[in-house]
Amino acid sequence: MFVQVKNLNLIYQSQTDETQALNDISFDIEKQDFVAIVGPSGCGKTTILSLISGLIKPTSGTVLVDGKMPKPKDNLCGYMFQRDNLLPWKTIEKNIYFGLEIKKQASNERKNYAISLADKYGLKEFLKKYPSELSGGMRQRVALIRTLALKPELLLLDEPFSALDYQTRLNLCNDIFSIIKREKKTAILVTHDIQEAISMADKIIVLSARPAKIKAIHLPNFEANLTPFERRNTTKAKRLFEKIWQEIQDENKKI
Amino acid sequence: MKTKKFSKAHYDYLKLHRTKKILTLLTQIAILVAFFLGWELLSRFGVISSFFFSSPTRVAKLIGEMLRSGELIYHSRVTLNETLIGFAVATGVGFLVAFVLWYSNFLRQVSEPFLVVLNSLPKVALGPIIIIWFGAGDKAIIFMCILIVVIVTILNILNSFTNCDNQLIALGKSLGASKMQIFFKIVLPSSLKDIISTLKVNVGLSWIGSIMGELLVSKAGLGYLLTYGKQVANMHLVMTATVVLCLLASLMYFAVALFEKLMQKKLK
Repeated sequence: MFVQVKNLNLIYQSQTDETQALNDISFDIEKQDFVAIVGPSGCGKTTILSLISGLIKPTSGTVLVDGKMPKPKDNLCGYMFQRDNLLPWKTIEKNIYFGLEIKKQASNERKNYAISLADKYGLKEFLKKYPSELSGGMRQRVALIRTLALKPELLLLDEPFSALDYQTRLNLCNDIFSIIKREKKTAILVTHDIQEAISMADKIIVLSARPAKIKAIHLPNFEANLTPFERRNTTKAKRLFEKIWQEIQDENKKI
Repeated sequence: MKTKKFSKAHYDYLKLHRTKKILTLLTQIAILVAFFLGWELLSRFGVISSFFFSSPTRVAKLIGEMLRSGELIYHSRVTLNETLIGFAVATGVGFLVAFVLWYSNFLRQVSEPFLVVLNSLPKVALGPIIIIWFGAGDKAIIFMCILIVVIVTILNILNSFTNCDNQLIALGKSLGASKMQIFFKIVLPSSLKDIISTLKVNVGLSWIGSIMGELLVSKAGLGYLLTYGKQVANMHLVMTATVVLCLLASLMYFAVALFEKLMQKKLK
């Protein structure tokens, strides 16, 4: 098992209250799996990513990535946010190097690798431009290349498409899906968009309302070689959508 | 870009833009000329008393005399020295303190009420204490200047540091960046604009500091000329010192503005 999450509990402390965010979450992820986590809003989806990346510690339970406790300092996980978080004062090229720079791995070899990724995925002509000169979809693509430049084994995608307009979102879904598959990465996608989850993931984890438990796990089993866009239009996807929709709807009623 | 051909409409647009810019500049010059000309004529024809208001020609004459005798350079240098030292020390110290307070949440929380009180306290009120501690000389004046500038600097720069985009900091953390890395790679570049605008404010404040100090206690400097001129009822001297002060303050402001332009070029 590449990622092992076992009996994870998390309680947030604040001055006025303590909130149980996660309640006994367990799941496994194989290498090169694409897993999506969906659930009612505010149920703690992002919290799970923070725990897997080692940014926060669980109250109890364990997270193992590649058999080790994850730390943000290692190169195992690459985090992608809802916002591209490109630094506006750096060119696209420098932004792509930013992760390498922070991790003090900005050797020529690694930089060349980053640039070759940028080339491969259509960013070559933008390298000398500034983020403000690029469209939202392009910027999010730069953010992905910045993450991939570190050669992470596991990509943590925290609603990376939700700030984009619909058209761009569908296109970028296709692109990022194919990049991740081609680079043979394992990925966990957190999203509130059920269709997006179905169109990209091999495994969909549905969470309950807070404190989040695992409500259901679905394995869509699409035929190989379908793009996310093609998957969206299958009857299988439509049936699965209704099912997950109902599951989340039931949870929303509890809130 | 330069080789690109534009439509006639674009050139018309550029022309209009330039005309407006020239018009603004001309109006500004006209206001200055009208001010000095009006001042001169009113005092020459006795509408206003040249004893109370002096006149531009008298001021110019006095500037010439004092330049020749070296007095003007001497007094300007004294004040400029105090102002520049006050400006540099206060800005530097303010920046460092702001960094420390950004770094340590504990220290920030501890110091907050003190900073707020110090900020609202009129620093001139500390004049007597400062004079007793530092003696009636330029040390006291520089200290006064630092005191006036440093608190505002700390508050402004700290505010800019703490307002840094949380999402960018989250990115740094997700990459495993140390707190120092987050500061130098994310927070500091994000705050550059605010830091430059703080510098601009500090130019004005440090002149306030040094002149305030000189008015309280001094043996030399433009503030000294002002007090001295007032005491012997020499309005020509008072006006001259004021005009020179205006000139120096604008020079320093333009220096900072130039620095800002250079930084912007470097940034983009």
